[in-house]
Amino acid sequence: MLDLYDKIQDACEKIREQFSTPPKVGIVLGTGLGGIVDEIEIESTIEYGDIPHFPTSTATSHRGRLVCGHLAGVPVMAMEGRFHMYEGYPLKQITLPVRVFKELGAELMIVSNACGGLNPYYNGGDIMVIEDQINLLGDNPLIGINDDRLGPRFPDMCEPYDQQWIDRTIRIARDQGIGIHKGVFVAVAGPNLETRAEYRFLRTIGADVVGMSTVPETIVAVHCGLKTIGLSVITDMCLPDALKPSNVDEIIATANEAAPRLVSIVKGIVNETNQTRIA
Amino acid sequence: MSSDRQSARPGFESPSIEMAVEFIRNRVAQSAGPSVAVILGSGLGGLADRIENPIAVSYNEIPGFRSSSAKGHRGELIFGQFESTQVVAMAGRLHRYEGWTNDEIAFPVQLMSTLGAEKLVVSNAAGGVSPKLRVGDIMVIRDHINWMGGGFSWNRDLGAASISRQKDVYDPEMSHEAIKVATEQNFTACVGTYLATLGPTYETRSEYRMMRRIGADVAGMSTVPEVLAAAHLGMKILGLSMVSNVANPDLAIVADHSEVLEAGRAAEAKMEAIVRGVLRAS
Repeated sequence: MLDLYDKIQDACEKIREQFSTPPKVGIVLGTGLGGIVDEIEIESTIEYGDIPHFPTSTATSHRGRLVCGHLAGVPVMAMEGRFHMYEGYPLKQITLPVRVFKELGAELMIVSNACGGLNPYYNGGDIMVIEDQINLLGDNPLIGINDDRLGPRFPDMCEPYDQQWIDRTIRIARDQGIGIHKGVFVAVAGPNLETRAEYRFLRTIGADVVGMSTVPETIVAVHCGLKTIGLSVITDMCLPDALKPSNVDEIIATANEAAPRLVSIVKGIVNETNQTRIA
Repeated sequence: MSSDRQSARPGFESPSIEMAVEFIRNRVAQSAGPSVAVILGSGLGGLADRIENPIAVSYNEIPGFRSSSAKGHRGELIFGQFESTQVVAMAGRLHRYEGWTNDEIAFPVQLMSTLGAEKLVVSNAAGGVSPKLRVGDIMVIRDHINWMGGGFSWNRDLGAASISRQKDVYDPEMSHEAIKVATEQNFTACVGTYLATLGPTYETRSEYRMMRRIGADVAGMSTVPEVLAAAHLGMKILGLSMVSNVANPDLAIVADHSEVLEAGRAAEAKMEAIVRGVLRAS
């Protein structure tokens, strides 16, 4: 039951062989948002299949490799391709890369996703910084005997996303002339999209956007003490009374359209870690 | 009586339950079996020490029994008398967040029922979701919301026959008695709805707001699996929540498990008074 600690060490050992610099920032790239990788001065890429205990991603438009290098002069590690609960992976395995970031020395995690907009003031292509989250996955990555070496039994969740970094992210976006929302992300297991009634329900319980990822990674980041910034790209609007059938190609096209702005914000955040102490 | 209940409810069987019953009957050579089962939640283990002529049996010794890993929880079944009633108390319970399944959590309830317990008093420490609640308040559980998911083996074994809606999962008479005792003892026990989450993370502020909106008064990580098992077995159930911290979604206060344990000690007297009063009345 307590083999997770050893798995983290195995994975880190393999990664250090390829990229010995401790990363300062770990980045998780969501659907259609891989463009950040083009901005990284890549020093090493490691296929997930070559990293012990890493699952391999099966999702459309997700590759499956860890990109290591420098962004804005800061050592970073980016997951190009992430894992989802709907692919059938246990949440413990999905979140292994987060623990690997932490173990390798990262102080900040930037997690991004493509999501559906529930807040009627949002538009397709908008970017939202995640202020808070609701877990409707029906599962939790921390279930099982707690390994006290990795984090506390009962993590507090009153600030899953670092408030100071939320403020900084909004300022960075504004400085670049990019509009950005701040709102609540609700995670569902998927893989089906929601019914109209489910969209009404999710809006009623206080969510601004809905997605199928991010929440497991953030829970584990809180557990292991890794500060987190969450960025959502609203790829389609989910307004129950004006709902159109979803189109994966359109969603990816919207994500691609928003990608340069997201990349610009992520770069700004990473650059900020040069000037600001993360802690 | 208890065996009648069991045979009337096929599908709720586990291969080791007979072994566990046999083990307990040999170990606890009492003339009368327990008539009331008590499950002691976070910080409420002190009640276990007030049981007269106690015989404690460690969970690890009982065939088929799983052991608790939660802090502040012991791991013993305690047999004895409390307010002149034959009781069996669980000091330490199993939680879904530890990785146990509903069936594993149901096992002790099934064991206590088979040993003769017809009533279940189940307690927990919970987070106050309703803004009316204060730390140290006692809430009598009138109803629950199961936000845990997951079924029991009897759902599979009985199929559609396992679908039932009872009028009251929580026994109105016992609840009424609990409130009466509180009034007599000069403190208030309110009634409300318990929402069970998987845990082990505490709720985010947005999750607390959601819980208020959907009608929860307190939230915790236990109780519902045991209650569903006990209801399936036809036991009369009293549920008691002690408010160990209050959710304040608009103020960031970090929840602390040691604070939970401390609030538990402070409210323990109230909880014990209720259990005593309810047992006296039974």
